[in-house]
Amino acid sequence: MASTNPALRLEVKRIYKELLYMGRDYPQGYDYFRNRLHKAFFNQRHLTDEEAIKKGIERAEFVKKEIEALYFLKRYRTLKHRYAPS
Amino acid sequence: MFRTALLRSARQVIRSAPRCQAPIARPIARGSLVQIQQIAPSARFQAVRCYAASAGLSREEVLGRIMDLLKNFDKVTDVSKLNAESHFNNDLGLDSLDTVEVVMAIEEEFSIEIPDKEADAIHSVKQAVDYILAQPDAH
Repeated sequence: MASTNPALRLEVKRIYKELLYMGRDYPQGYDYFRNRLHKAFFNQRHLTDEEAIKKGIERAEFVKKEIEALYFLKRYRTLKHRYAPS
Repeated sequence: MFRTALLRSARQVIRSAPRCQAPIARPIARGSLVQIQQIAPSARFQAVRCYAASAGLSREEVLGRIMDLLKNFDKVTDVSKLNAESHFNNDLGLDSLDTVEVVMAIEEEFSIEIPDKEADAIHSVKQAVDYILAQPDAH
């Protein structure tokens, strides 16, 4: 693992940290999110090819946006539910 | 009508202004002089103490807080190996991702922000303690 590009290594850690912060308010709980996230990153640990790692980071950025969207949707639904009880 | 009223009020203000200023200004000046003489030595001493004192974190306190934090961290496999010198990876069985989480927890505990580059260099309890002690704004 030490053989890989240190800049990419830092990048991976950065996105991991950002995702962890995002997971604070995950609907199923932070612990659930944390374990899943750790597993997802852990399963990619064999990657040594720089291109592959970059692709993985891109995927992580995509997931981050998905989670953001999830939060917006959750907020929207809650608000809608409050204002228009059906 | 309006103009005369305006003039009269203006004249009143002019006439009353110096009369007001003088009596108010003098006691304040006198009072503050007296107060300064009385309070100054201790106040100045306190101010110096307040601003010059560091956060006052002792090594034992930092170590204790980090140890508590690690004790409560659910991924530490072997708590018995936890001591002031333990290495996150070799002794505690944490991988690099868990180390990121530990560093995040340390950031929150001491309410500081550790830059990614420096966070990457923290691999053991000792390094974490040294880093916190080197930070003037950690508390």
